[in-house]
Amino acid sequence: MFAHLIYMVRRALRNMRQSPFLCFAAIGTVAVALTILAFFAIIVQNVQNLTAHWSEEVQVVAYIDTLPEERVLNSWQAELRQLAGVQGVQFVSRAEAFSRFKKRMGENADLLDGLNADFLPASLEIALKPEARNQAGVALVLSQLRKNSSFSDLRYGQEWLERFETFVALLRVAGAILGGFLLFATLFIVSNTIKLTLYARKDELEIMALVGGTTAFIKFPFLIEGAMQGVCGGILALGCSFGLFQFFLREGLGTVLLSSGVSQIGFLPFPWQAGLVAAGTALGFFGSLFALRKLVRI
Amino acid sequence: MIQFHNVCKAYQKDSSALEDITLTIPKGDFVYLTGPSGAGKSTLLKLLYCAEKPSRGVILVNGQNITRMSSRQIPYLRRRVGVVFQDFKLLNSRTIFENVAFPLEVQGKRRFEVSQKVYQALKLVGLEHKLKKHPLELSGGEQQRVAIARALVIDPQVLLADEPTGNLDDANTAEIMNLFKGANARGSTVVLATHDKAMIRQFPRRTIVLADGRVVSDIVP
Repeated sequence: MFAHLIYMVRRALRNMRQSPFLCFAAIGTVAVALTILAFFAIIVQNVQNLTAHWSEEVQVVAYIDTLPEERVLNSWQAELRQLAGVQGVQFVSRAEAFSRFKKRMGENADLLDGLNADFLPASLEIALKPEARNQAGVALVLSQLRKNSSFSDLRYGQEWLERFETFVALLRVAGAILGGFLLFATLFIVSNTIKLTLYARKDELEIMALVGGTTAFIKFPFLIEGAMQGVCGGILALGCSFGLFQFFLREGLGTVLLSSGVSQIGFLPFPWQAGLVAAGTALGFFGSLFALRKLVRI
Repeated sequence: MIQFHNVCKAYQKDSSALEDITLTIPKGDFVYLTGPSGAGKSTLLKLLYCAEKPSRGVILVNGQNITRMSSRQIPYLRRRVGVVFQDFKLLNSRTIFENVAFPLEVQGKRRFEVSQKVYQALKLVGLEHKLKKHPLELSGGEQQRVAIARALVIDPQVLLADEPTGNLDDANTAEIMNLFKGANARGSTVVLATHDKAMIRQFPRRTIVLADGRVVSDIVP
């Protein structure tokens, strides 16, 4: 069995050596197609980071009318921390609220001179877990907060949240359509190139069948070859996309995204990189499989 | 033994390539299939190595009904049947050695055995000194001998040849015919399709004449 596998791999390598042009054509097509896909993935990845960064601002602020004893305040905070979807609770005293407000006023802070530092209400700032940073998550927290009459006012930036959700939904739909189209185009181009490279060797496939080759014997080396070309194409695509990212995309995306609050523009994380090479392997393997289905007839 | 029972083959509904063929070729026989172009010679050979299926009738090869063979079984039949094609069907990117080794590789034979058998087959056709050459570096006659070596390397029970001397001069034809006679002498049943009447006269053997897909005469000299 192992010897058989080695023989098949050796035959696949020999095929590649004997038809270098066809081999490079297949690797090149996989590489180009996957580089485009990786390019798209880098943009998606960074826009996702941007929306994740924005979503950190989704929080509920509960203003407290009359400040209770510290023990009661602590118990409220503990209760809120127990709620599903709540990531953390921070108490903001009147003094801290005033200091923040003053800071935000910047150069005009002197307008506040003479005002009493406790004219702003104290509050609890409730940060939400990423999965609860949406209208449903906010509603759940609000329903709990409304049970406590000590909270005079509850703020969560309703209008901003609605717009943010619409934007994220739009982004997802656009991403799915564009990604789906790219994936389909990649599959189409790669499978047709592989079909052409195999078509150029249809004599070999025919003769193999005529001298008694079984379907598995004929197909297996070509499938290994397809997978190996896919791996090479995937690695090449990874290298190309990294090069393009370094020289063009980092700066281009940076101009757009860094001003929107994202701390840094990143390349694809390791699982995505591994996924790209795996996608190349799968493309090569299945592209060959579909092409061979039509070409090998015993 | 090869037996055809009422075999018909139609590629289109209204025209038959073969019509009601019934014949028997005993084991170890040497038979010519002859007739004008389009008589059905190549189709009859194709039925024997399962490149085509008959529309009707039964074909038995050594008692095995090959018309009912599944596509999984066909490769194993082909490993017992050597075929020499008119257009040689050699792989130009491979060396002569690799071309002849192909049927043995397909059978999963060990390297040593492959080398030994390929060398013997090439020696038989007189090309053992050209095993590293590629087909396009050889003459037409030499290429045909490589194709014959590839068919002989498996020690076939049945050897089929479709116009094997169609493109060759008289000297090459005689050489090729000697190779077929040798294979027949070693026990292979030989079925040779040709329209070369001179060759049949020069090397007389049982001759089945086809015309319009039917057997019109079966002559044993």
